[in-house]
Amino acid sequence: MHDNIAHLLTDDHRACDTLLVAVEHAVAKADWPLAKSQFAVFQAAMLTHFDVEETILFPRFEQKTGSAMGPTQVMRGEHGQMRQLMNGAESALAAGDADDHAGHAETLLIMMQQHNVKEENVLYPMCDQHLAEQFATLLPMLSEQINNRQGAA
Amino acid sequence: MQALLSFDQAPPFSAPIRFFLTAPLFAILAALLILWEGPDLFVSRWTAATLALTHLITVGFMLQAMLGAMIQILPVVAGANIARPRFVAAVVHLAIGSGALCLSAGFLGHPPFFNLAALCLGVGTALFAAAAAWALYSVQSTNPTIRGLKLSLIGLAVTVMLGLLLSIALGESLALPLLQLTSIHLAWGVVAWSIALLAAVALVVVPMFQLTPAYPADFARRFCWAAIVLPILWSLVDLLGWQIASTTLASAMALLTGTFALQTLRLQSQGTRARFDASQQLWRVGMICLIAACGLWLLARFLPMLGDRREWPLLCGILVFVGGFMSVIVGMFYKIVPFLVWLHLQNRGGGRILAPNMNKVIAGWQIERQMHAHFLSLATLLTATLFPGWLAYPAGLLLLLANTWLLRNLVAAIVFYRRHCAQIDATISASP
Repeated sequence: MHDNIAHLLTDDHRACDTLLVAVEHAVAKADWPLAKSQFAVFQAAMLTHFDVEETILFPRFEQKTGSAMGPTQVMRGEHGQMRQLMNGAESALAAGDADDHAGHAETLLIMMQQHNVKEENVLYPMCDQHLAEQFATLLPMLSEQINNRQGAA
Repeated sequence: MQALLSFDQAPPFSAPIRFFLTAPLFAILAALLILWEGPDLFVSRWTAATLALTHLITVGFMLQAMLGAMIQILPVVAGANIARPRFVAAVVHLAIGSGALCLSAGFLGHPPFFNLAALCLGVGTALFAAAAAWALYSVQSTNPTIRGLKLSLIGLAVTVMLGLLLSIALGESLALPLLQLTSIHLAWGVVAWSIALLAAVALVVVPMFQLTPAYPADFARRFCWAAIVLPILWSLVDLLGWQIASTTLASAMALLTGTFALQTLRLQSQGTRARFDASQQLWRVGMICLIAACGLWLLARFLPMLGDRREWPLLCGILVFVGGFMSVIVGMFYKIVPFLVWLHLQNRGGGRILAPNMNKVIAGWQIERQMHAHFLSLATLLTATLFPGWLAYPAGLLLLLANTWLLRNLVAAIVFYRRHCAQIDATISASP
């Protein structure tokens, strides 16, 4: 059980990284069926993570701080960019184009990492600070959503 | 509440890129200087031409790249935006570029330029340090990277202040202990500024780009403090003339640098990426060179038969500046520049037009070949310290080749960016 939002969601970031690496290894071996199935698992994990943030965490943070135009808005925008990059990578995989996939995956990886750094260094500590009194209900809710996805995978 | 609500104001593309494009120009000037001076340049680290060469690399190449990168990285890792980034970048860029040129002119036999160099570099770094400190002022040091960035700014300020003092002393022929002050200036520049900044950034980017485990928490927390405390203590005891303490603390600085490089290599070996790309190779070579430089420095310090030879300071300098910092900086350019091109194109398209992925920005084979040219120029420079008569000119030519190629690759990225900007604008204006 995690003791705060930062630890919980940071661990989920690392889990998503590992899933993307698994896709990379499958592509490197030119094992396209494996790459496609690994990519589906990765994409589902990413989308769940975005969903958990956009539907549960961010609205609470915005309500508490009274701002919907601050960092959460920027994070939503970056989620949109990553969704597009995942679509690009998925199309490249479907076409069996290793170079195009590598380019999208590399861009996605850096986008993910710089996004994660902002969340882990700045946004999550702010969430922990502002939402501490909701931990008793909020942490199990976030964990459940993430675990449901992991169970499904 | 943390004043960190301004992620969205990512600096404009021109702010970091003007520094990145200028860096290879100074390395090209350094190469031309080697070709002009020939084997004489490798006689001693203290000749005027060698000092000019050193500053073309450190102030011309490294400082440009490091300040440009800092403007870009502060909002990402610390949520700290430099106010009026276009203005600050333009003034700092112009000032430190002119400063590096004046400094070289001063060393190359035109002493009045030392005062001008002091003015330009003083104004440029003071403005940068003030703007960065202002941005970081309200940011809590919640992790070692943020603390490391703050402490490295102190390292930069002290390095430049000592440099100004030396520059004015040379320009005005003041009676100061120049050799001792130069050693202190060098230690602050290498350890408290450059290694401290490199480590603060590495804590984030090595795990981020190469998907390695994180640096051990204790190491990360203590390193940035050690990188500033050791130079402070060493400078004091050295000025006081306490020989044994001075040697001990200087050795500790070398060991600290070596430990960072070893730790980074160890993490890299645990990286999980499927491909070992150019950026990772450049990092690896950079870290190996830093370890070699530390080893050589320690051997020269304790083995008189090596310490008395004229070659080792030059070898050490090339290992640190060309092998260590230039390699890592080039490796970082190949990640940062294509990503920034993608990011700014993506933002320009407003999410409606998908930008070409970052691997299309600079052709992979151009990156690979430039990297090999850089490695070849490094190896030749190192060997030229032992056989200057044979290798000084080839080393100059190869450094010229590697950096002209680097400039070509960076310019290719800008051309790509402009072309796609025009296409995106045309598409948007065509669809209401």
